[in-house]
Amino acid sequence: MGKKFLMILTVIVMMAAGIWAQDIALKGGTILTITNGTIENGTIVIQKGKIAALGKDIDIPAGIRVIDVTGKFIMPGIIDSHSHIALTDINEATDPVTPQIWMWDALDPGSDSIQKTLAGGVTTVKTMHGSANVIGGVNVSIKLKYDRPIEELIIPNVRQQLKMALGENPKRLYGEKGRSPSTRMGSAYVARKAFIEAQEYKAKWDKYEQDNAAGAKDLTPPKKNLQMETLKMTLEKKLSVDCHTYRAEEIVWIINFCKEFDLDLLQISHCVDGYKVADVMAKAGVFYGGWVDSWGFKEEAYDGCPYGMQIMYDAGTKMVINSDSPVVGRYLFREAAKVLKYTDIPENEALKMITLNAAESMELEDRIGSLEKGKDRDIAVFDKHPLDTTTKCLMSIIEGEIFFDYAKQSVTAKGGSR
Amino acid sequence: MKKFCHVLLLMFLLFVVAQAGITSDIILIKNGTIVPVQGGSPAVADLLIENGKISRIGNNIPTPSGAEVIDASGKFVYPGLVAVMTAVGVTGYPRAGNDTDEVGTSTPHMDPYDAINPEDDCIEVTRVGGVTTVQTISGSRSVINGKSVILHLGGTLAEDMIAKRYVAQIFNIGATEQNKYPSTRPGVVSYLKTTLNQVKDYAKKQSAKDKKPAGDKKSENAKEDSSKRDLAMEALVPVVAGKVPALFITNNEVTIRNALALIEEYNLKAIIRAGSAILKYADRIAEAHIPVIWAGTENVPQRWQPHDLNYHTAAVLAEKGVLFTFDSGGYGPGSRNVRNITRPAAISVAHGLSEKDALEALTINPAKILGIAAEVGSLEKGKIANVAIWTGSPIQGRSRVETVIIKGKLIPMTSFQTRLYDKFRKIVDERIKKK
Repeated sequence: MGKKFLMILTVIVMMAAGIWAQDIALKGGTILTITNGTIENGTIVIQKGKIAALGKDIDIPAGIRVIDVTGKFIMPGIIDSHSHIALTDINEATDPVTPQIWMWDALDPGSDSIQKTLAGGVTTVKTMHGSANVIGGVNVSIKLKYDRPIEELIIPNVRQQLKMALGENPKRLYGEKGRSPSTRMGSAYVARKAFIEAQEYKAKWDKYEQDNAAGAKDLTPPKKNLQMETLKMTLEKKLSVDCHTYRAEEIVWIINFCKEFDLDLLQISHCVDGYKVADVMAKAGVFYGGWVDSWGFKEEAYDGCPYGMQIMYDAGTKMVINSDSPVVGRYLFREAAKVLKYTDIPENEALKMITLNAAESMELEDRIGSLEKGKDRDIAVFDKHPLDTTTKCLMSIIEGEIFFDYAKQSVTAKGGSR
Repeated sequence: MKKFCHVLLLMFLLFVVAQAGITSDIILIKNGTIVPVQGGSPAVADLLIENGKISRIGNNIPTPSGAEVIDASGKFVYPGLVAVMTAVGVTGYPRAGNDTDEVGTSTPHMDPYDAINPEDDCIEVTRVGGVTTVQTISGSRSVINGKSVILHLGGTLAEDMIAKRYVAQIFNIGATEQNKYPSTRPGVVSYLKTTLNQVKDYAKKQSAKDKKPAGDKKSENAKEDSSKRDLAMEALVPVVAGKVPALFITNNEVTIRNALALIEEYNLKAIIRAGSAILKYADRIAEAHIPVIWAGTENVPQRWQPHDLNYHTAAVLAEKGVLFTFDSGGYGPGSRNVRNITRPAAISVAHGLSEKDALEALTINPAKILGIAAEVGSLEKGKIANVAIWTGSPIQGRSRVETVIIKGKLIPMTSFQTRLYDKFRKIVDERIKKK
């Protein structure tokens, strides 16, 4: 009995140790920490859940896997705060108000888009409801742990974000069906009406819960409404807001709207006109989420101006570069390089737009987005500096585990290109 | 009297020369790293532009009087980039829709030259990005689309900008119709063959009409019969005759195969634009010397394919000796971002293409494909002076374009976008100051 118990215990201990079996050290690379400068010929040790050590002269603990990255560049795993990958469905385009939709119900961890995106050094994305509805669904922030149970992908203990959308898309979609909203006034009304209803709904529930706590008898709880539940959570700031809009007047409108209802607006996505109201955005503390120089691909994107990033930077507007596409999501680092073409923004700030700033826009800056002791072990390795557009990603590591390895998953590794 | 005539002639000649001196720009670019792309290796040198042409490349070129001198020390002098399959010039008036893609299954008689708008905002944005010459197409959504033209992105009238008309006729094998014939790819193949056969007949009748003597009653009837001009047929006659290339838009293996079959059967001069699967046919295409517009670099490969299959494709095309260029990223409104033609090149370099091959794919290759390599695509004596001075390689996302010269004229480095910047820099700064 005693012997058997000991054996089982040993197996359990070995299995537990297996969790940390991914301990690795990357040795000899140029480490772009984002928060503490660049470490030439540095070493980074990933052990027991977190970044254990990084620096120039680091003792590598015995017995852990050492990967030689001499001449290579190590940066925090890239973060895309506006993506639609890994989803089986994107738009519940049947009604302009669909807050009852939760995107994690469409999350597909086996989606090939995860593998293809990992190859661009991306380790975390916020994958989102589309822009068909004024109030869409609830987005989900995930780590790109390909083909694992969804509990491993969904980042725990972080506020998810309610997707809202203004401008052409809801107008066109519902207007063509002869429904409201077909104008921006209509979209404004739809949003305001929904949140006023949610305030009333919340008041009813608050009263019920107060009375209940006070020990009142024979109380009938108000009827549950799943749309209102999500909006109530948004009013309670258990959810934040990410709003899709291109135009300056709408950017100002959504900032004021979120003030009116006391909502936490974290990011304005597709924020093409952001530079025109850079000061307003800076004051509101809301992130510019968008591209660097995509211009004129639709009417409301006509005033896209890559030089505008300089205006936003000078005004103190926080900025992230998003993909909004499985194509661009594979080369966000190349987009970041173009910041240097159009502005005098420093290199490290351009890199922040795809790392630390993106983490902050998702309220994850304490966990990811820079290489610091104690942070999650999410790392991307590149063969050249990530802002050299002829570089490629060699490795994407999430929480110490290698999820993409160029040596094993490229054309050359697969024996030719046919 | 004779003497007086001589004096008059001399005065007239002097006047002509003086006029020429006023109107012709002389530009001397000094001490830049000249990257000629063809006909030499990169080296620090001077480049002289006279009368719209590159007149000399060499060291210590003496400054001609009246010349504008540009110090390019530490900078890189490249030929202007050449972009294919764009909608530059026909992207339409802002907020009024674009002017590409006329309605119809077959619209070969559509000519973008008829719609060129020299005020198109896209022209300035594209040229300050270092692209000086474009192929503008009339559309891509029909099975048989219209003509395409070559524009230099300098000039105030369409006739100043046009470099060449009728450079290629665009066919799209994947452009099936909905709810009418041809709604399948085999239907499209059959539709194309039927049309090409009709064009052959039309061409025969037309030439017969031209040959037959007047007065013959029989031939009078024939003349009547064939004298009706059919503009659609007429547009395709040079294609069937192998004079104007047929540019086939393909998106997958099936449509590439269909295009190759048509090219062989009708002995067409052709260009293939491919969005994927081109490597399966690379050997056959190389052997047939069919140039390729590779449009698939950024496309996400299929689930079973390695992530970098398309990233690596240009490298394989180069290795197999296929003459290729990159697609400018679509047509229609998307084509406003033609200046980003450098991105697929950069990605391809990251995945095995040499930087030299990448540069050729952005300059001399498209010029060769479109039949304008004698005029543009490299920095060589006698070529049209389409030149851009960069802070680094165009392949690098961070490189800036500092100077653009088109047909020997300095281009203002302003655009719709720089004007937006100036306007809102002022507005935002003033609002900040007030607070």
